[in-house]
Amino acid sequence: MELVLWLGLFLPLAGALLLFVCHNFISRRNTGIVGCSLVFFSFLCFVKLLYEYSQGIYLPEVTLFSWIQIKGFDADFSLHLDHLSLLMALIVTGVGFLIHLFSIGYMDHDEHFVRFFALLNFFIFSMLLLVLAAHLLVFFIGWEGVGVASYLLIGFWYERPAASKAAKKAFIVNRIGDLGLLLGILLTFHIFGTGNIHEICRRAPLEFTVGAPILAAIALLYFWGATGKSAQLPLQTWLPDAMEGPTPVSALIHAATMVTAGVYLVVRMNPIYTTAPAVLTLIGYVGAITSLYAAFSALSQKDLKRVLAFSTISQLGLMFLACGVGAFYAAMFHLTTHAFIKALLFLSAGNVVHMLSGETEMDKMGGLFQKLPKTAFLFLIGALALSGIAPLAAFFSKDLILEEASLTGYTTLYSVGLLVTVLTGFYLIRAYCLTFTGASRVDAKLWKNLHDAPSVMMIPVTILALLTLFGGLLGYASSVPPLLMSFLDKDSQAFFIKALAFGFHLTTDVWFSLAASIAGVGLAAFIYTNFRERLSRGKLAEFLYQSFYINQLYAFLIVRPLQFFSQLSSKIFEPKIFEGIIPVCTHVTNSTSRVLQELQSGQIRSYISWIVVGSAILLVYLVFEGFYA
Amino acid sequence: MTLYNPNLLTYFLLASSMDLSFYIFVSMALFAIGIIGVLSKRNALIMFLSIELMLNSVNLLFVAFSYSWGNSVGLVWVFFVLVLAAAEAAVGLAIIINLFRSKELVDVDQYNQLKG
Repeated sequence: MELVLWLGLFLPLAGALLLFVCHNFISRRNTGIVGCSLVFFSFLCFVKLLYEYSQGIYLPEVTLFSWIQIKGFDADFSLHLDHLSLLMALIVTGVGFLIHLFSIGYMDHDEHFVRFFALLNFFIFSMLLLVLAAHLLVFFIGWEGVGVASYLLIGFWYERPAASKAAKKAFIVNRIGDLGLLLGILLTFHIFGTGNIHEICRRAPLEFTVGAPILAAIALLYFWGATGKSAQLPLQTWLPDAMEGPTPVSALIHAATMVTAGVYLVVRMNPIYTTAPAVLTLIGYVGAITSLYAAFSALSQKDLKRVLAFSTISQLGLMFLACGVGAFYAAMFHLTTHAFIKALLFLSAGNVVHMLSGETEMDKMGGLFQKLPKTAFLFLIGALALSGIAPLAAFFSKDLILEEASLTGYTTLYSVGLLVTVLTGFYLIRAYCLTFTGASRVDAKLWKNLHDAPSVMMIPVTILALLTLFGGLLGYASSVPPLLMSFLDKDSQAFFIKALAFGFHLTTDVWFSLAASIAGVGLAAFIYTNFRERLSRGKLAEFLYQSFYINQLYAFLIVRPLQFFSQLSSKIFEPKIFEGIIPVCTHVTNSTSRVLQELQSGQIRSYISWIVVGSAILLVYLVFEGFYA
Repeated sequence: MTLYNPNLLTYFLLASSMDLSFYIFVSMALFAIGIIGVLSKRNALIMFLSIELMLNSVNLLFVAFSYSWGNSVGLVWVFFVLVLAAAEAAVGLAIIINLFRSKELVDVDQYNQLKG
């Protein structure tokens, strides 16, 4: 059983290495087979483990080898599979496999087909390492591996300046977050003397009183890391730009898996967070503000993928909001449903983009329902599901978050959540209307040959649509605890301290949230079917389109001063100051050595004289020392 | 602190019996002669002999102290020094022979190629 776990983890890595080594002579067909099947086998491994776990057979912590052994410090390369990481691993490999399958069709004409699959496999491996890690250092390797993979995949079309710029931006902004995580890890080592995640989680509530400042510092540093990876304010700017990568990459990295790493970190460390309630509240508010910010920004985007990117940020904000009110279970539930829905939305958007030969601007779409009816239908399912229309997946999870916020007394967070629900429905249906209904703005030549995507692309999207339709049932139960909750509750950690006794129950809150989503959806549908032609872009639209000018603000506050300083260094410091100082140093060294080299005369008798003089001085010194002592 | 006694020489000359001080005096004299020999002579063989003289002056001191204190540790050291001197003779003479072969000279001042 241990072997199954190792296989599950290392099969994607094996795939990445194999493809990397063979990239010169492997055929396209075999690349697709290797890339997809290894991830699928990895998925099967975790399904097998799921079966074992459902039988009540649990794996202990497994160690592959010991890294560093110093007294009082341990660094084992060890994994721990509990229900939380099993859930994450299933999402990563399952959704990841469907995206791999989709990529075969999507990347069909790309000449770097093999490199793409090698990187996708490497990404899956890093993410698995991250979720399965039992030790903070292993976790950090996975965390960084995900960062590297995202950098390489966003910049996959590196010939395009925008893509390589976006990749650099993603990497650098993530580094800022990683600094926080690294500091948090170091502080944890210092305080707890161990890096074992489960031991830390077990000891934190026992050894510290609620509100202990040092624990709050650790929690805050971890959250700093999470804001980078999960694109929360103030480190959210990289995610919309990351849409420069191929669409399957957006689906894989920026919707289903990578960005959830931050949420996973907070949920994983929840005993620390419940011991530091002030930080938890902060997380809730940061999540709420981010969610609102991203939802507003999404209202006015012109690029189909950027709408989805902002919606991802917004939904991640909701997950952090859930964590903030202590509803870790609700956050995980929303993470799960969001993974299905966002992958569905991205892949059906990918269909559109692929069929339009890479066009992502919604100004050049419209009326596509006539040509791509299946894709349009699948996209609509995703849009309605994420808007929170019953009984699709996100209705249950979003409603649970709102209910928890309301029940725990965070009225502000609750109302923000409701507003975000309205906005979510609005921007998603707006995107749907601009893309699929109305008059076509597609190039006439392209329009003639349009048809629905090949089945290798349609099948994964259809499976995701089914998951979207029925995924909500994981968290639905009227009297007993729902499936997902009882699954996660088996973990030894006291995970869901504040969670409600069961997930879904009909209160007035449900009607509120349902009404909110219907309002958003209906309003958008009404406006964009009847008044589309009369809509003009005002200043407000431009403000939202630029997402509150935060990029420009950062450019002004951080990038410009840095550039100014580097210019200053290269124009003044380097030529004037350093190039002036260095010759002085060499001159001093040279002249000193010229004087001293006279001593090395080659005359053996002069050396002996120096020895005698030196010995005499030493002797006199020793005698006098003895004399005065 | 007899080293600083201005009447050191008189003291030794007037000493009625051959006590320890006399041996120390002879040893120091031999050592000084050795040093002067090494420093002033240019002939490699003479320098070599001077070094041997210095070693033997130390040997004399060892034996004298050993006798005076009734302790055999000094005698053991003498054998070490003898072995060292033998080894030095073997190596040193070999070097001198090789030097002579290269330039047909034993004047050390002529061998000054290794200067800075």
